Amino acid sequence: MNARKVLTVVFFVTALGIGYASMNTAPVLSDESYSYHGGTEWHTDYEQAEAIAQEENKPILVYFWTTWCTYCEDYNKNVYSKPAVQDRLDEFVLVAINLDSDDAQASRLASEYNADYPPQLVATDPQGERLAKINGYVERQQFLSYLDKAERRMDE
Amino acid sequence: MTTPGTALLAGGTALSLGATVLLAVGYVRRDDQFDTIVTRLVAGGATLFLAALAFLTYQFVTTDYTNAYVWQNTADYLPLLYRITGVYASNAGSLLLWTAIAALVAAWAIWRRDLADASARLVGVVTMGAVTYFGVMLLLDSPFKHISTTVSGGTPTTGSGLNPLLIDPYMAIHPPLMFIGYALLTMPFAIGVAHFVGLVRGNEGLFRSWNGSVTRWLRAAWLFLTAALALGALWSYTVLGWGGIWAWDPVETAIFIPWLFLTATLHAVVNYRPGDRYSVLAPAMIASTFALVVYTTTVVRSGVFRSVHSFADNGAGLGMLILMGATAVLGVGLPLGYWLLREESTSEDEPWLTRSTLLHGAVLALGMLAFISLWGLTFPVLRDLATGIEVEVTARYYNRWSYPVTLLTLLLLGFYMDYDVEGKRRALAGLGLFGVATVVAAVYAPSESWTLGAGTERSTGFYALVGQMSALSVFPPVAYVLMAVLKRGLARIPGAPRRTQLKQTGVVFVHVGVAVLVFSLAFTYLFTGQASVIVDSGANGEAVDVPNSPYAVQTLGFESYSLPEQPNVERVALSTTELQERGTATNSTTQVVHGTITDIRRGPRAAVYQLDESGIWVGVTSRNGTSGASYARGDSIVARGAVMWNYVPQTDAVVVTDPTNVGTTASPPDSLGLERVRVQAVNLAVSEGDRQVAVGQAAQRRYPRQGGMQTRDVLIDRGLAYDTYVIAAVQGDTASLTVKRIPLMTPLRLSVVSLLVGMLLIFLFDPAHGVWTRPLAPTAETDPDPTTSD
Repeated sequence: MNARKVLTVVFFVTALGIGYASMNTAPVLSDESYSYHGGTEWHTDYEQAEAIAQEENKPILVYFWTTWCTYCEDYNKNVYSKPAVQDRLDEFVLVAINLDSDDAQASRLASEYNADYPPQLVATDPQGERLAKINGYVERQQFLSYLDKAERRMDE
Repeated sequence: MTTPGTALLAGGTALSLGATVLLAVGYVRRDDQFDTIVTRLVAGGATLFLAALAFLTYQFVTTDYTNAYVWQNTADYLPLLYRITGVYASNAGSLLLWTAIAALVAAWAIWRRDLADASARLVGVVTMGAVTYFGVMLLLDSPFKHISTTVSGGTPTTGSGLNPLLIDPYMAIHPPLMFIGYALLTMPFAIGVAHFVGLVRGNEGLFRSWNGSVTRWLRAAWLFLTAALALGALWSYTVLGWGGIWAWDPVETAIFIPWLFLTATLHAVVNYRPGDRYSVLAPAMIASTFALVVYTTTVVRSGVFRSVHSFADNGAGLGMLILMGATAVLGVGLPLGYWLLREESTSEDEPWLTRSTLLHGAVLALGMLAFISLWGLTFPVLRDLATGIEVEVTARYYNRWSYPVTLLTLLLLGFYMDYDVEGKRRALAGLGLFGVATVVAAVYAPSESWTLGAGTERSTGFYALVGQMSALSVFPPVAYVLMAVLKRGLARIPGAPRRTQLKQTGVVFVHVGVAVLVFSLAFTYLFTGQASVIVDSGANGEAVDVPNSPYAVQTLGFESYSLPEQPNVERVALSTTELQERGTATNSTTQVVHGTITDIRRGPRAAVYQLDESGIWVGVTSRNGTSGASYARGDSIVARGAVMWNYVPQTDAVVVTDPTNVGTTASPPDSLGLERVRVQAVNLAVSEGDRQVAVGQAAQRRYPRQGGMQTRDVLIDRGLAYDTYVIAAVQGDTASLTVKRIPLMTPLRLSVVSLLVGMLLIFLFDPAHGVWTRPLAPTAETDPDPTTSD
């Protein structure tokens, strides 16, 4: 082994290290069961979420989003990431539906709740009955008041 | 429908294919009987591809909308320059440009070197094979498709327009330079491939005798790619209004990767010694540069990113993974394993610290930078394919992995240059000194804003570690490089033969350029200051301070206008005679017609107007009673609607429309899309203290026909120490201004000039492989004594 060969081996070990580390630390946009928005975790399978909601008797919050929607980023930055909002979101079973998805479930939900553009949010009871709907982006206080409204109607 | 352009493409492809086949037969049989005809076929192929390119350009200049590609990528209002640049505005035209240049390069190489021996024929097989392949791709996705394949109802009267981002002088030159660079890389690729074919067939390969040729092709390609990268960066600086020259978007990264790898390859070729050092690695690298170009271009242009899911669904995802894995193993793993296991003749008694080892370090360091960028482009796709998990790759990934490697590369460069002059002991002392200085500087940040991670999201692990580093850490390596490079230049240049002087001056220019580039880039990234202010016409003429900045702005007036200034309705709309000529082919298509009203019939739900006493009538239906304006005999009107032939008795055709799609020729309806660009501008004077730094216009351009896309005209004052950069969002008489101060842009521009000038000197005057100074006998091209030249 001369110096060049030793250096080359070091090079490949480093490259593999960088490759492995970066791949595993990259920010996750979505995985099999959840997608992540502003530090909050949303189910991607509606039926699973529905089952959880019925079991725990919690309302469901369905979030219609896309990767390119700038207002969705505003939701991440100004709403979902705030601890006060996150405490309230815990009271709901969260489901995120990517409107660009070819999934049959996604298009069924989008047409059922008339969600034709991102971002939109629909709060429903565990049976899927609509409680409140937010069209587009609203500020944090207003967002919370929609959640209040959904919970009031759920209790009625 | 076969168009003349398609015929040219088919001819070029056929001739290239013929040449490839004959070259292959000649190579296998070691037979020179086809050489004359091959030379003619190759020249003919190149001529036809160039003719196709010229023809497409001609169609763009004359806005010939019978060509669908022309119709999609230009419009009459565009000035000549941007009608020409429409040629390479989309994939098919870019590929034609690439093909034509590659064919020209291949023809030139064959003409220049003749087909004297078997290896030259083999190189020809590969280059002409590549050209043929491009030709087939062009035939499959042709820039010469007839308009009738895209729209029905005859040739459109107006074009769709050019992508607004491409309406810029930098973008006019950037693509041709890039494709020339790419095309030049076909030759080294062919030589590398031919070399390995030779090795497999049991001779020693042709690299030994083609070394000089390869070096020249690589250097020429590097010159063009560097210029293309720089122009692309300057374009994003002005057009996209990012206020920075580099944003790691996939398209930029896709050119940057081959550029880095090409730089590494140039260092590898210098290290090549026939039959010994680098006899595997150098040819392998020259062959892979072109492969990288193809890979990155495909990944970026083909939309693999967007269609990842459709790939994964039909199982092609797995196929792609296997293909990529196999390519990596075969292309990288095999030659490397071979080299690692094989003993080099000098390895027994060779000391560890040699110039060759250092050069190898340079190759690896540059290779690592290329790998980081390549991996950033690749791993989101891989991971999604493998696990279905979507991840994002941000600038943070690229910046924070590349930065430490860049510093190491600079330290290595400084050490190499110093070692060359001072010898081992003093050079090691220098490296130790500057290495320690770098570490100390990395730990000490004068303020929060000096840390690399300032102003970005919180990170963990390695990213956090690099984010904590101080930007001061760039000073010692840069100083080391500048010092060592200049010292080596002073030691080598005076008293040397003239060619060596010129080449060494080139070496100094290139490496000083690199050091200045890294330095200024780091600072433009970190120390760009930004402030905003809103001004309106009420403040006309008064200076308004921009809060939190040293600047004040003075509004000198607002203006807004549309392009084209005087749209020609007659050019856009068909006359009644033209519509008659097109006939029933236009049935049920949407068309625009104009004419003078000669008869009127009014009904409860519609008014019908006869135009020019012809059989063409315009029927204006009024939905739920809203009738809109009504017109009288003698009015000149223009209407856009569905043409219905034999729809109403006593007429030839009725153009069915509604009030919003009809108007007089003097005030045509908006739906005609006559307005191509809406410009809203504010004239400004920007001052800093008592000094006026910039006067001019900042504007936003809105393109209604391109989905309302907007671009910004920025106002830039280019200063020695920093640029002042103003972006405006204008709404009526109010402008929201963002004023940026971007440091060290002029040194950055100069560093690029220095890179280009330096490489040009090396390219022309290198005593061993220069174009100007090339020895005539090919045997003299390999470097006999590696220790004295370079």
